[in-house]
Amino acid sequence: MLFWVIAAILTLGASLAVLLPLAGGSKGASAAGDHDLEVYRDQLSELDRDAARGLIQPAEAEEARAEIARRILRLDNAEPAAKAAGPSTTTRLVATAAVLAVPLISWGFYGELGSPDLPSQPLSARLAKNPADSSVDELVARAEAHLAANPSDGRGWDVLAPIYLRLQRFSDAVAAYRNAIRLDGDSAARQAGLGEAIANAAGGIVSAEAQDAFEAALKLDPANPKASFYLAMGLAQEGRVPEATAAWQKMLSTLPQDSPWRGAVEQALSESANKAVAAGQPANEVDAASSMSPQDRQAMIEAMVASLDEKLRQDPRNAEGWMQLVRSYVVLGKADQARDALGRGIAVFGPDSEEARKFTAFAASLGLTATE
Amino acid sequence: MVEAGHFALVLAFALALVQTLVPLVGARTGNSRMMAVGGPVAVTGFALTVLSFATLATAYASSDFSVANVWENSHSLQPLIYKITGTWGNHEGSMLLWVLILTFFGALVAVFGGNLPATLRANVLAVQGAIGATFFLFILTTSNPFIRMNPAPIEGRDLNPILQDLGLAIHPPLLYLGYVGFSICFSFSVAALIEGRIDASWARWVRPWTLVAWMFLTGGIAMGSYWAYYELGWGGFWFWDPVENASFMPWLAGTALLHSAIVMEKRSALKIWTLLLAILTFSLSLLGTFLVRSGVLTSVHAFATDPTRGVFILCMLTLFIGGSLALFALRASRLTAGGLFHPISREGALILNNLFLTTATATVLIGTLYPLAVEALTADKISVGAPFFNLTFGPLMVPLLVVVPFGPLLAWKRGDLFAVAQRLMAAFAAALLAVLVTALFIDGTSAFAALGVGLAFWLICGALTDLAVKSGFGTVAPDVMLRRLVGLPRSVFGTALAHFGLGLTTLGIVGTLCFGTEKILSMRAGETVELSGQTLRFEGLYPSQGPNYSEDRGRFALLGADGSTTSEITSAKRFYPVRQMTTTESGIKTIGFSQLYLSLGDQATDGSVVVRVWWKPLVTLIWGGGLVMMAGAAMSLMDRRLRVGAPSRRRKPTGAVPSASLP
Repeated sequence: MLFWVIAAILTLGASLAVLLPLAGGSKGASAAGDHDLEVYRDQLSELDRDAARGLIQPAEAEEARAEIARRILRLDNAEPAAKAAGPSTTTRLVATAAVLAVPLISWGFYGELGSPDLPSQPLSARLAKNPADSSVDELVARAEAHLAANPSDGRGWDVLAPIYLRLQRFSDAVAAYRNAIRLDGDSAARQAGLGEAIANAAGGIVSAEAQDAFEAALKLDPANPKASFYLAMGLAQEGRVPEATAAWQKMLSTLPQDSPWRGAVEQALSESANKAVAAGQPANEVDAASSMSPQDRQAMIEAMVASLDEKLRQDPRNAEGWMQLVRSYVVLGKADQARDALGRGIAVFGPDSEEARKFTAFAASLGLTATE
Repeated sequence: MVEAGHFALVLAFALALVQTLVPLVGARTGNSRMMAVGGPVAVTGFALTVLSFATLATAYASSDFSVANVWENSHSLQPLIYKITGTWGNHEGSMLLWVLILTFFGALVAVFGGNLPATLRANVLAVQGAIGATFFLFILTTSNPFIRMNPAPIEGRDLNPILQDLGLAIHPPLLYLGYVGFSICFSFSVAALIEGRIDASWARWVRPWTLVAWMFLTGGIAMGSYWAYYELGWGGFWFWDPVENASFMPWLAGTALLHSAIVMEKRSALKIWTLLLAILTFSLSLLGTFLVRSGVLTSVHAFATDPTRGVFILCMLTLFIGGSLALFALRASRLTAGGLFHPISREGALILNNLFLTTATATVLIGTLYPLAVEALTADKISVGAPFFNLTFGPLMVPLLVVVPFGPLLAWKRGDLFAVAQRLMAAFAAALLAVLVTALFIDGTSAFAALGVGLAFWLICGALTDLAVKSGFGTVAPDVMLRRLVGLPRSVFGTALAHFGLGLTTLGIVGTLCFGTEKILSMRAGETVELSGQTLRFEGLYPSQGPNYSEDRGRFALLGADGSTTSEITSAKRFYPVRQMTTTESGIKTIGFSQLYLSLGDQATDGSVVVRVWWKPLVTLIWGGGLVMMAGAAMSLMDRRLRVGAPSRRRKPTGAVPSASLP
């Protein structure tokens, strides 16, 4: 708001600077000849001074005086002075055009170039502002500055490490977890976090190094869900799918009902089941690992998905629901239906909406592109 | 309020457009109201540019990294002084400084131009407005320092470490005051061409402006040379590199302009030539501005990456240089030629000066642009470098310096060379003595050294002779002489001071080049080195931490005759982590007019350090002479002759001419 006031005042001032002389009383300008005469007169007095001081010989002075006098005589005094023009039509036209040009050009240009809503952000203000209003990047930068100055602050590393993980800065997270463990000692959460960071830094592959970290975490807290989950993932990656499935099944039975890990475990289970089906593994193996027959499993999942689909038809403004639906179809291998769901979801929120962008990005992460 | 500064800049652009068109139309149609618009608009435009520049400087001082330009060229840990000077330590900010100075000079014409004929004033302001509008447009479209970033990065990228020096606070502003000062001379010339006539007051106005611009440019070049000397750690004071030449060419042309403007003012002669020189000088200033900041040819080269800036610069140069020269070709024939004079006269001497200076300018221009042009066209890298300039520029300068003392002593219109030579006998004797002393007692092996010292003394004593002759030394009683000396016009002192300074600079250059010594050696702590009678002991390397750098300081003790420490010199290698750059801080000890110059090299694995030691005799005179030249220009500016009043309506024009003085 303040900016617009300043801009308006500045524009007004600039326009007045153009307008006032055009509107003001006209003073007849003196003819150019008068100015020349003034100069020659000054030259003559200078000549007199020099002659009096003996700087030039009397004969030279006389000659110079004659030359200046000749110039004065040559002056064309008949030359008319500039017209003291009244408020003619031309003047009015020019005045209007010039005065209008100032705000039009400046506001037009500024509209193209400026960021009027962006306040100044001096460093002191950015550092002094309430951490709740700061962006994550700013908070991280502040924490980094603090840790650069106090590298032995284990608590600082402990706080920063999971944030790095969330920001997908995995190698920074690895270093931060290691520092926290070195300075503040082992804990299940730190070891599990370290393992997760190592695995994600390697693109999700649970390496031996990551496994060591997860096992260390389980030693400290046998019920740590993150460590159990990733260890099972490691088994699955090694091709020991039945063992992995068993481990996940065991997690499902022991995890509390409200645990945030349940969703991840269920998804992992369905993915490994699909993989097993897709790989043409004997049904009985899957069967052995699962309490349900694959057909039953499939049927159950499909029923769940269908009910979700129906729910979304009733109440379409549920962004989470749409993403869940798209993911479910992808997991079931029904790409066409997934695409259809994606299209419907985008149609609900409008193709230019924030949600539509989120959907497209989400679908792309699943390897799905929106229908053309 | 960053955006207010951005808006002020845009508004200043709009006003510059008005300033170009309305007074121009007014002057053509004889409409005094439209002509009157130029003044207030120029002053308001200046105020807005000040606001804009102050805003950017504030953003720098407060490390507002939401401004992209600040983020790119600043760091929160820099000392405040370098935060502020960083404002113009980059392309965008320096362009803003450029227009700030341009609008400042425009405002000065508006405020103090009351004694100018109205049409001339209107046209000058219009041309000034056109230059301003082009630069504003250039800044806004290709080099906008107010581009914002949201969210703001938390830390900046730091200023180029070489620029983190007090020199940045002084050198560019002085240099730009010089470059842009010549824009006024240019505007006056183009205004005269537009009008098709040169008023008598024209020369009276152009000369002080030339003096102002020349004074600042001299200071800027001297300061830049000293900065390069101590900051780069190579011990050289002039490298003939394109950036230096870019500032030297307008200086040479400006010096020629300064002298031809004297002829024009006094004798109404050389009008057309002076006009042309004013145009050329500012054209070289423009070229210099872009050679330094963006590089005209580099920009041409970089078309693929950033074509807009390069194309814009080329268009600008074509518009102003080509446009003004075309106007000159069209209109010059309409201007009346001035008074007549004999070849041996003050006018003749000044023409000789102009011939040499313009030829020298052309030489430097060729030496500067030719390698760049070859590189741009064929991708071959050729180096012209110092040998070319020493072979071409040197021989042109020597005869010019030889005739300098004659000029001020010759009479106007018709001079007596023999009489002047007689008056200069004392100076000649002094110079001869200097040659003999140098050859016999200091260095008998180099004729160049002896003759160079002689030339310097010839200039110095010639300048003193000028003052002595004009105050009547030896012909009148001492008290009368003293009174006449004090009563001499300031411009006479100005001339003498400037020529005296030229002599000092020559002496400094000859002294440093001919009698300087240097040693490069590897030293361990406790070792001593002797150079030209000075003994230095290396005390060792000490690590130290600056605000935004870490450094290894090498401490040296200067030993007296009895082996005790008389003073300490430090030279350092600094490392700036943000830019990953290393700089060398030279250690300098001034002894009389000479300097002992130390520069640390690399550290070997065995703990010894490469040290370069230079003994630079009389080196401070090079820049001291520049300061004396500046003082001369300032003295000339104070001359009462340069203050001409506005025509008063009350005085009858005819009564102004004393009848006794009419032939």
